[in-house]
Amino acid sequence: MAQEIDIKLLRRYSHLELISRQVVEGFITGLHKSPFHGFSVEFAEHRIYNQGESTRHIDWKLFARSDKLFVKKYEEETNLRCRIVMDTSSSMLYPVNQEASFENPNKLVFSVYAAAAIIQMLKKQRDAFGLSVFNEQIEFNSPAKSSNVHQKYVFGELEKILSIKADDNKKKTAAIDTLHQIAEQINRRSLVVIFSDMFDDISRKDDLFDALQHLRHNKHEVILFHVLDKKSEIDFEFQNRPYRFIDLESNLELKLHPNEVKKLYVKAMKEYYEELKIKCGQFQIDYVEADINKGFHQILMPYFIKRKKML
Amino acid sequence: MALEFTDSNFEELVLKSDKPVLVDFWAEWCGPCRQVGPLVEELSKEYEGKAVIGKVDVEANSEISVQFGIRNIPTILFFKGGELVDKQVGYAPKATLAAKIDALL
Repeated sequence: MAQEIDIKLLRRYSHLELISRQVVEGFITGLHKSPFHGFSVEFAEHRIYNQGESTRHIDWKLFARSDKLFVKKYEEETNLRCRIVMDTSSSMLYPVNQEASFENPNKLVFSVYAAAAIIQMLKKQRDAFGLSVFNEQIEFNSPAKSSNVHQKYVFGELEKILSIKADDNKKKTAAIDTLHQIAEQINRRSLVVIFSDMFDDISRKDDLFDALQHLRHNKHEVILFHVLDKKSEIDFEFQNRPYRFIDLESNLELKLHPNEVKKLYVKAMKEYYEELKIKCGQFQIDYVEADINKGFHQILMPYFIKRKKML
Repeated sequence: MALEFTDSNFEELVLKSDKPVLVDFWAEWCGPCRQVGPLVEELSKEYEGKAVIGKVDVEANSEISVQFGIRNIPTILFFKGGELVDKQVGYAPKATLAAKIDALL
């Protein structure tokens, strides 16, 4: 059976800690400062009035001028649209642990819970949220809505992700193509939240940066949560004995003595991450290092700060 | 400059065109149409020679509007080889429209 997202655990975050913290800092009052209220926000089209329909949204001014009955139609009433983009490639299943859970997550489980917490907060604010899931291709793509039904639907998808195991089919990361596609698909200004370990083909890193830049067009705001297990992936802290390293995306095996490669590895990773950070800075993308061992505060706070800026 | 399609020239200019065609159904009194209008003008310059881009005033040309069942304005229809291939109802940003034309080129 698919593992379920434990709403109680989320609430612990969304209610107690964060809300109380925000109230103290006057966060919540700030969140409602939007100058837009209710309808009139995004008047998108006129539609011929059908007999029997409510007269409430008839454009009476137009009727007065021209005797025509048209109804004004609006885009869904919302302050913000948020698209959560989740990488579910096999490398996200690191550290390999069959019993990955909220308390002891791998990168994927961590991302799912972080995304669920953000969705929970968006829902409270009546903001619209959509989910895109990708690995080698876009696996799932939902529109952005803010209803309860939509939340259940999206949570259902997230729960499916929780049940992915390391032994399942290996899925590579194709962040470049998929990010381009996603950038094309979002047509209204949105907040784009990406969860990925960014382990794409390192020789194509310029293309990856292009894809990130593409997301910034149309004035989207982008937060990149770079999900990683800092201890082993960046600092390469392993015991001083031979290890067998297995690439989760291709199953390639490598027998190594960590101390021999540590220096080289740490240097290469550091360079890549530094470059990623610099590029994100240039594109005005918020880069957030999300270490799976450090809990969820590191995710939610940057999100709130960004959210506040967008109003 | 975007073309003006009418009941009389629609078949000639749109259905018999060998290029992709974008048709914007609009009316003078409709707010969102006036938002879309300038985008269509810009697109007509950018795609000059590659695609045919024009507008239909639904007030003056009820025949085509009825033929294509236009009940909402703005509605933007995309034709290729005389066939209706895509449709956008309501306001959409320029990039969305451009992407739809690009898909037909």
